[in-house]
Amino acid sequence: MDKRNRSAGIALALAAVLVTTPLLPLALWSFAGEWRFPDLLPASWSLRGWEALLAPGSRFTEAVLNSLVIAAAVTAAAVVIGLPAGMALGTHDFRLKGVVIFIILLPILVPPLASTMGIHLTFIRLGLADTMFGVFLVHLVPTVPYTAIILTSVFAERTGELEEAARTLGAGPWQAFWHVTLPQVAPGVAVAGLFAFLISWSQYILTVLIGGGTVITLPMLLFSAASGTDPVITSTLAVVFALPAVVALLLALRYLNPGNERGFLGVGKVS
Amino acid sequence: MIGERTRIALLLAPALAVILVLFGGGLYAALLQSLGYFPAIGMTEPGLDAYRAVLTSPDFLNSLALTVYVAGASTAISTVLAVLLALALRRAPGRISTALFQLPVTVPHLVAAVGVALVVTQTGLGARIAAALGLIGEPADFPALLYDRYSAGIILTYVWKETPFIALIVLAALRGVASELEEVAQTLGANAWQRFWYVIFPAIYPAVVAASLVVFAFTFGAFEIPFLLGQDYPTMLPVTAYREYRSIDLSARPAAMAINVILALLTALFAAAYLRLSRELRRG
Amino acid sequence: MSTRLELRDISHRYRTGERAVSHLTLTAGPGELVALLGPSGCGKTTVLKIIAGLLRPTAGAVLADGNDMTGVPPERRRVAMVFQKPLLFPHLSVAANVGFGLRMRGMGRRETGRRVEQALRQVRMEGFADRRPEELSGGQQQRVALARALVTEPRLLLLDEPFSALDANLREEMRELTKHLHATGDFTTLLVTHDQGEAVSLAERIALLLDGRLQMYDTPEAFYNRPVNRRVAEFFGATNFLEGRISDGAAETPLGRLKLAAPVPPGSATLTIRPEAVRLEAGENSFPARILSAAYLGTQVLYTLEAGSVRLRAAVPPHVKLGVGQRVSARLPAESLWAFSE
Repeated sequence: MDKRNRSAGIALALAAVLVTTPLLPLALWSFAGEWRFPDLLPASWSLRGWEALLAPGSRFTEAVLNSLVIAAAVTAAAVVIGLPAGMALGTHDFRLKGVVIFIILLPILVPPLASTMGIHLTFIRLGLADTMFGVFLVHLVPTVPYTAIILTSVFAERTGELEEAARTLGAGPWQAFWHVTLPQVAPGVAVAGLFAFLISWSQYILTVLIGGGTVITLPMLLFSAASGTDPVITSTLAVVFALPAVVALLLALRYLNPGNERGFLGVGKVS
Repeated sequence: MIGERTRIALLLAPALAVILVLFGGGLYAALLQSLGYFPAIGMTEPGLDAYRAVLTSPDFLNSLALTVYVAGASTAISTVLAVLLALALRRAPGRISTALFQLPVTVPHLVAAVGVALVVTQTGLGARIAAALGLIGEPADFPALLYDRYSAGIILTYVWKETPFIALIVLAALRGVASELEEVAQTLGANAWQRFWYVIFPAIYPAVVAASLVVFAFTFGAFEIPFLLGQDYPTMLPVTAYREYRSIDLSARPAAMAINVILALLTALFAAAYLRLSRELRRG
Repeated sequence: MSTRLELRDISHRYRTGERAVSHLTLTAGPGELVALLGPSGCGKTTVLKIIAGLLRPTAGAVLADGNDMTGVPPERRRVAMVFQKPLLFPHLSVAANVGFGLRMRGMGRRETGRRVEQALRQVRMEGFADRRPEELSGGQQQRVALARALVTEPRLLLLDEPFSALDANLREEMRELTKHLHATGDFTTLLVTHDQGEAVSLAERIALLLDGRLQMYDTPEAFYNRPVNRRVAEFFGATNFLEGRISDGAAETPLGRLKLAAPVPPGSATLTIRPEAVRLEAGENSFPARILSAAYLGTQVLYTLEAGSVRLRAAVPPHVKLGVGQRVSARLPAESLWAFSE
């Protein structure tokens, strides 16, 4: 037993090192002044990266705002759209259920890049290209499947007994949904929302294709910085870009049941 | 009172509408354009020319080979590491460790790519540590792991991102393996390796394969990391499609769309396989 | 205001094609406590859900005081139900759980609070108002569930095996509480149970359901002494059965001609008698028998008797001491013999 625990501890420590290895230089570089090869740590520290982002003429604020607005709208819409679908799939059996699940899963595995290139022309014709609304619409493609699938598993665990109890106590179908079902599935809805937010926030290529350079979001700034040569700016942007992921994880750990990590992340992945 | 069928249909309608219109419609448009039906630039004669051209071009075949290699290598390495990690973690389930190792799952791919690049570049953290240990003198002595022909940077980034993802799913499946069964096997004389192979692995196998399939399909069709960390030629399929699409020559569009359609068909096959497996998983 | 409940030819078939209930007709008078008894899987819960309006029967009608309720949604039936599991809403406090039904009907906070307090007192759970359901024991949770149902002032209370998940002594306490609440309240109660002891001790009338069919609907006493068929008798623990032909108030049986007190139509019939009623003495309806085995049960001894090809059980007080193999005279008193034709 002791030997087992020790090897588990070593594996864990190793995993921790490997997990932090790529994140460490980002944090260091974002505050680095001078950091020449082969120094292991920066020779001096500075806030140059952060000042550059907030300097007049920088599109950082605009990009962060755009990213936030789009992600928030996508989150709300994906939850509102995914909730009824999850309810139908999680609580009912019907013919064609397998087909419906397949259709909903498809955008998770088939790259939305392909469909977005295809729909680009139509979006141009409809005046949706180069607009925030257009970007919002294509962000629904990778997010709705996740909210629907996550909420399906949430609803699948429900037996409907509490709702029946509510009905016998005088609650109508809507009252039962509002006062019993919704509070019960709230943690699942929160997880689905977090997922949708992170997926939309992380989205690069769909925004580039449909936003056409008019709608600037944070990953676009990061991409152009990463293609450049200044690791300080790149790292600073990357730190900001990674922030919601860290916050989301902390929130999930704080408010969701421990040991429920399967519910949090097991169902899906974020790009 | 509305009937149950109508109710189900109404509940599913918004999600299906989003997917059928924005995703299905997009793929349909891609198909039309790949067939050369593109009235906007005067192409109205549908045909399979684009497919013929794409499928016989060495550029496409090189791109396909690279894509299979990168996706396959990333998936294989991540899967093996993930199973080991899950086996190690299942007896040490602390809150902090769980949080820490979920981090790569939530961090955007772009951040991962930038971070990995800063570690493996010839002046990066890896090279600095190598220099401190006296292994190399010059940055150029450190192996080139970015924009290289082995796509090391891409694979490393994917392994960093996807290993915890697979490990989480395997960990969930491991909970289903009764530790009593392992103890029984132990009393029957099974050693650690035999216990893994005959007791644990059969139980987690469907989960492992399902998770690997998701990772394979994703790495097969993802754009950002190969675009950022990949070499100039050949490029992975999504990057090739994007480059063709962005080409000034509008007649390259059918080719771009043909690549898209091929990409979609292949990944849809993975999706079908995944669905079958996850059904077995639920039954098992 | 208690209700007169009428089930008229109710049948229910699940979508799988499985038949849960067949042609059930049953009436419970206002204020009556009726037990719906049967082994698990016999369709009892289906019947309750149909009465509550949670299920729509495939055929038949539910009437309350003569009004057809079949299409009325559950929330408008004034029927409260307590389930096998407490099913308290985990996100609400005990008080909010009990007040749920009143709030759904739009009652104000103050009045709700007053009635909740009263209901909690009724089930002796005052002082738990601010607790969360998960902090309570199983028995406490079930009492809260009872209060939650009663506070809505139902006309009809449905109890779906509400005590089966509790320990034996707690179960007894809950039965007493239920009996008391039924006696002091103004509602009709329908209790579903698989435990005949529970049905007998609580109900004024018992409806026995086997394989989705109503076998017998009568007082507990009738189930013991006047079962309508062999399955009913067996469900209530009867083991002594004799085939016979009835004529002139007596039956021709392998044990000879036995007199019957109850009037029975002539023809072939099955006779039954409870082991406690068998006497080990000579007299009317007696015959020679041999003791095959004896089992000491504390308050009585259960003997298995053999008379020719017939085996019977007799339960007698423990002070009567008889050895295995001993020959005795056994008597089946005419007033305790019951006959039914299948």
